[in-house]
Amino acid sequence: MTFRRYRAVAKKEFLHILRDWRSLFAALAMPLVLLLLFGYALTLDVDRIATYVYDQDGTPESRELVERFRGSRYFDVLAMVGDYQTVERGIDTSRILLGVVIPNDFSSNVLSGKEADVQLLLDGSDSNTASLALGYAEGLMQMYALEVQNRAQNQKGMGHPGPAVDARIRVWYNSELQSKNYIVPGLIAVILMIIAALLTSLTIAREWENGTMEQLLSTPLRPAELLLGKLSAFFVLGLVDTVIAIFVGVVVFEVPLRGNPLFLLAASSIFLFGALCWGILISTVARSQLMAYQMGILSSFLPAFLLSGFVYAIENMPPVIRLLTYIIPARYFVTILKGIFLKGAGPEVLWGPLALLCVYAAVVFFLATKRLRQKVA
Amino acid sequence: MRSRIREIVVKELRQALREPRMRALLFFPPVLQLVIFGFAVNLDVNNARIAWFDGDRTPASRELRERFEGSGYFTVLAMPRRDREVRDLLDHGDVQAVVQILPGFARDVDRGRASVQVLVDGTNSNTASLIASYANQIVTSFSQRATQARLDRKLGTSVPTNILPVNTASRVWFNPELRSRTYFVPGVIVNIVMLVTVMLTAMAIVREKEIGTMEQLMVTPIRPVELIIGKTVPFAGIGVVNMIMITLAALLVFQIPFRGSALLLLASTLLFLLTTLGLGLFISTVSHTQQQAMMSTFFLFLPALMLSGFAFPIQNMPAPVQWLTYLIPARYFMEIVRGIFLKGTGFAVLWPAMLALAVLGTVILSLSVMRFHKRLD
Amino acid sequence: MPENAVEVRGLVKRFGDFHAVDDVSFEVSRGEIFGFLGPNGAGKSTTIRILCGLLSPTAGEARVGGYDVATEAEQVKENIGYMSQKFSLYDDLAVEENIDFFSGVYGVRREIRETRKEYVLKMAGLENRRGDMTRLLAGGWKQRLALGCAILHEPPILFLDEPTSGVDPIARRTFWDLIYQLAEAGNTVFVSTHYMDEAEYCHRIALMYRGRIVALGAPAELKRSLNLPSMEDVFISRIEEEERRTA
Repeated sequence: MTFRRYRAVAKKEFLHILRDWRSLFAALAMPLVLLLLFGYALTLDVDRIATYVYDQDGTPESRELVERFRGSRYFDVLAMVGDYQTVERGIDTSRILLGVVIPNDFSSNVLSGKEADVQLLLDGSDSNTASLALGYAEGLMQMYALEVQNRAQNQKGMGHPGPAVDARIRVWYNSELQSKNYIVPGLIAVILMIIAALLTSLTIAREWENGTMEQLLSTPLRPAELLLGKLSAFFVLGLVDTVIAIFVGVVVFEVPLRGNPLFLLAASSIFLFGALCWGILISTVARSQLMAYQMGILSSFLPAFLLSGFVYAIENMPPVIRLLTYIIPARYFVTILKGIFLKGAGPEVLWGPLALLCVYAAVVFFLATKRLRQKVA
Repeated sequence: MRSRIREIVVKELRQALREPRMRALLFFPPVLQLVIFGFAVNLDVNNARIAWFDGDRTPASRELRERFEGSGYFTVLAMPRRDREVRDLLDHGDVQAVVQILPGFARDVDRGRASVQVLVDGTNSNTASLIASYANQIVTSFSQRATQARLDRKLGTSVPTNILPVNTASRVWFNPELRSRTYFVPGVIVNIVMLVTVMLTAMAIVREKEIGTMEQLMVTPIRPVELIIGKTVPFAGIGVVNMIMITLAALLVFQIPFRGSALLLLASTLLFLLTTLGLGLFISTVSHTQQQAMMSTFFLFLPALMLSGFAFPIQNMPAPVQWLTYLIPARYFMEIVRGIFLKGTGFAVLWPAMLALAVLGTVILSLSVMRFHKRLD
Repeated sequence: MPENAVEVRGLVKRFGDFHAVDDVSFEVSRGEIFGFLGPNGAGKSTTIRILCGLLSPTAGEARVGGYDVATEAEQVKENIGYMSQKFSLYDDLAVEENIDFFSGVYGVRREIRETRKEYVLKMAGLENRRGDMTRLLAGGWKQRLALGCAILHEPPILFLDEPTSGVDPIARRTFWDLIYQLAEAGNTVFVSTHYMDEAEYCHRIALMYRGRIVALGAPAELKRSLNLPSMEDVFISRIEEEERRTA
């Protein structure tokens, strides 16, 4: 291992990256676009649920219920409609998600202490939004029902019983329940995977295609020198992206960073190193750029996006796939990222996943150098 | 004219289908995405892991626990004794929520002013909202039974005063079991058709530029229109095959309902293909190397997918972003596909979306054709 | 068909500030083998690309087969065959598939396609390897196959851009035999090269340097007028003179 040879390769890679302004732009703009998307535009949190109300009753009691819906930040009552068909059509055309139908015997039933039915019609196609909407609507109805009950019992002189048990819900770590707070930290894993898997494997696959790799392999350069030299430039690029992501996440989107930023950078470096070696390994297996691209997307970007717990909780997955996630390095990195950002956790809590990341990086580095050596021989 | 187009179509298909690895790449991504979105990715909460901190240990507190366990939403994993344990369980992410019952709970229930504390790990805001909502429902129904018991005791009778004066009857349409799978799997069609056709089209042309055969084609008397049709028709065919494959898998493997017209789905797919092929063509006119083409494809694909409403509902986005989504063809096709699969909507409802696709497709395609010259400069 | 296969008047091509082709004029008569000689970067390929309608000229006029390359590029393409510097057939198609494909895009009439294919296979010496993948062919065969694909539609004018670069001497010799055959059959062959010995095979040559034509004429005539023994000497002396002139 000679530093001079390593430096020659590293310098060449830097020049490649700096000259290819398009790839450079993509590498630097990608984190910003993703951050913007997830920090600003994309959210799984449901509010302003588009709602039609069909009030058949039209009494002060029913109007009070409607006012509850209007006053809630979760619902957006678009219109009061006069017939059932409009509600159905609204759901069919996706104008609304929820239809509330108050029957014409509502107030008489409520006042006489009989049971009054309110119908909720819900577009369930998006199960997540629908579950949340249903939860909010039922919660709102329960509150209303309890108050009606209290009032009735007050009038009957039974005193004020109030709810016997009251659930006090406290949310830790992300008390405003904003999805950006858990998505933006995990995004760093996805961004690094894009840099590593796509950019690295493509650039190197191109060298194989052009035959310049053969040229390099015919020099006294050792596999490890070549590998590290190639990695350096992308490594720096990846770290720059990490810093951009952290900075924008914390400053612009006000995601809390409760842990130690230096620890965060250290963990990112380990992950990045492993991911870059993976990119090189792909490029030695793939024959063409098209193959390298596809393999890169399938083997690193998609799992990092979908199976790492970045957006979709791992505990909801079926056992077989849950087992599969254990071999996805991004899974450990996402755990570390969320731990550092939201829980302020340090190495004493996160040593487990951190150790596994180190093992991953070492194994992939070993495999990649071995593959390169085989190619030389 | 027709024979020249056919020559190119035959050649493209030969090249795309000859190599086993390429063949695999045409069919592997749809299968993988189906597995991920059909089985793995899931926003529904069931069996949330909770810890139960019981400071009371009375029949009342045990009854509440049984209600949590019997609800199907929660699994009690730990029974911590000390506050420190509670904190650790949440910090390590071992449980998603902790229910805390304070000493004197049973007594307070009898007096009508008990409270239950639920600590929720808000890291994943979506899961946390659902957990909070389910916990609330269980506690409320427990509370109502307690109130009823108290009233009974007070009045010395067991008069069935109705428990709640207002009853909600929820009806969930289209996806009554509220399964994520039903929502995601039809969307995979949009995803795959977009990914495969945009990339293949862009690459097919840029690769010829890179290896120099494009120059050879340009000196032949072939007309640009013939070249473009010949280059795009095979990939349109592959897109249609992908669509049919995924539809069959959705019906046979995942038991997703298909309520609309298959013919309408085919027609809309063709309209959507206009836009994706146009986009692929456009990318190929602005790229010189395969790497640039792939980075551009990826760069356009990711935001398009994110803003299409595939995983993140459009109605939750801020207004300016919602306007932006009107420029994204995938948004319309997503609406159409879900409408046809889940809602059984027909042309009468879907024509505006189809019209939008036709307009966008024509615009993109004509722009690309205009940019596509048979000259090198 | 007009008297001259190619006519070029005051042709200029600029890329930004760079004059790739700088006021070039010449003509090529029918049935002639016209050589374009010059070092790399002299503007040979650019000129050929303009004549094929691949690049548009910045100024000047060029007519190929009587058609203006700037305004009638498509008619030009009906009358020419072109073989680019880079090997440009499809590596991942079989020999026969490449021929069928180019027959198709050149619009060769269906009834003569088979005869043309056999002719090309025979010419390239590939009759027994018609099903082989093109990437498996050695350089000389690839070159001949590329030439064959460029003449499937029997174009009267052929543009060959450094067709023999990177090919062994024997294969080069065979290739030139083919060029002679084509010329004898009445085709005009426009060929660029940087091999001096090949220059001797041409009926007439144009020496190109830094975008300009610095000498034009039959090889023997050029040698005689400068009183030099070989084309190489002619080449060097003309370039030295050009250097002195511009310095």
